[in-house]
Amino acid sequence: MIKKYTLEIITAIVILLFIGGYLFTASTMEGAEFGGSDGVGSAAVAELTGQSEDSFEPLIPQWEPSSGEIESCLFAIQATIGGIIIGLVFGFWIGQNKKNQVI
Amino acid sequence: MHIMEGFLPATWCIIWWIIALPFLIYGIIELKRILNQNREYLPLLGATGAFIFILSALKLPSVTGSCSHPTGTGLSTICFGPFITSVIALIVLLFQSLFLAHGGLSVLGANILSMGIVGPLAGYAIYRFLKNTALSMYITVFAACVVADLFTYLMTSIELALAYPAEIGGIAGSFTLFFGIFAITQVPLAIVEGVVLTLVFKYIVQLKPDILVSLGVFPKEKIESARSEF
Repeated sequence: MIKKYTLEIITAIVILLFIGGYLFTASTMEGAEFGGSDGVGSAAVAELTGQSEDSFEPLIPQWEPSSGEIESCLFAIQATIGGIIIGLVFGFWIGQNKKNQVI
Repeated sequence: MHIMEGFLPATWCIIWWIIALPFLIYGIIELKRILNQNREYLPLLGATGAFIFILSALKLPSVTGSCSHPTGTGLSTICFGPFITSVIALIVLLFQSLFLAHGGLSVLGANILSMGIVGPLAGYAIYRFLKNTALSMYITVFAACVVADLFTYLMTSIELALAYPAEIGGIAGSFTLFFGIFAITQVPLAIVEGVVLTLVFKYIVQLKPDILVSLGVFPKEKIESARSEF
């Protein structure tokens, strides 16, 4: 029984450890802002070149989400698209398997 | 792993685009070929592609106190190879460039190269190397996914280092700086991604082993024995 779910158990443990790692960092590390590493990378570029981050103009004009709320909404939409497709495919497969069993 | 719009000089943008283009073109040809070959591949392609959509939308906190996102490219790489994966990465990264201001059109070539080409190629190499060994199929999948994720960030660091050599230490110096920023944040994420995608792979093995066999993802005996084991 346990062997059947080995992978599920491992996954659960790893995710719990990951959450634990986050909670530990969040409570012990001072100045942990949990900003994006992309942003930290850009800041490092600014530091290396000695220019301020704002002086990097887009080469191709770009639309930017007006606020963090809109950005997170768009990220949620991206994940939703993925989620719908995954649900559809796995549902399709399960249905296909059921049908084949009947025949 | 996104290099932000404007953060690469135009010359490098063009160079990375030129390197990425042949992979994308070959990927599109491959995509057409396998879909004409068997329509049953389409749902699997959709599912593995959808995981790239989901995982690359998740900004997860890491032990370094900053957030990053997994890439999710490992599963698609194992099932369909790195070229088709680069086409899916193009779609995801284009979406993020147009609507989220993550990355941008000029740096898209560089971002595709890291997330859609170098990462998947590295993962694919590991997968091919371990595929026919006695090692468990699931460990192979896990290793390939982790490597694909980490090499994505390795490539991003190389791209940034080449464009911005440090005054002291040159390219190697700034590579260490950038890789230091990305890598430590990324290791825990890569492990979580690897475990989750391995679990997904298990469900595909249970539901649709015939597709995996016909794609030649793993030898038939390995898939059969994994089905009875777990």
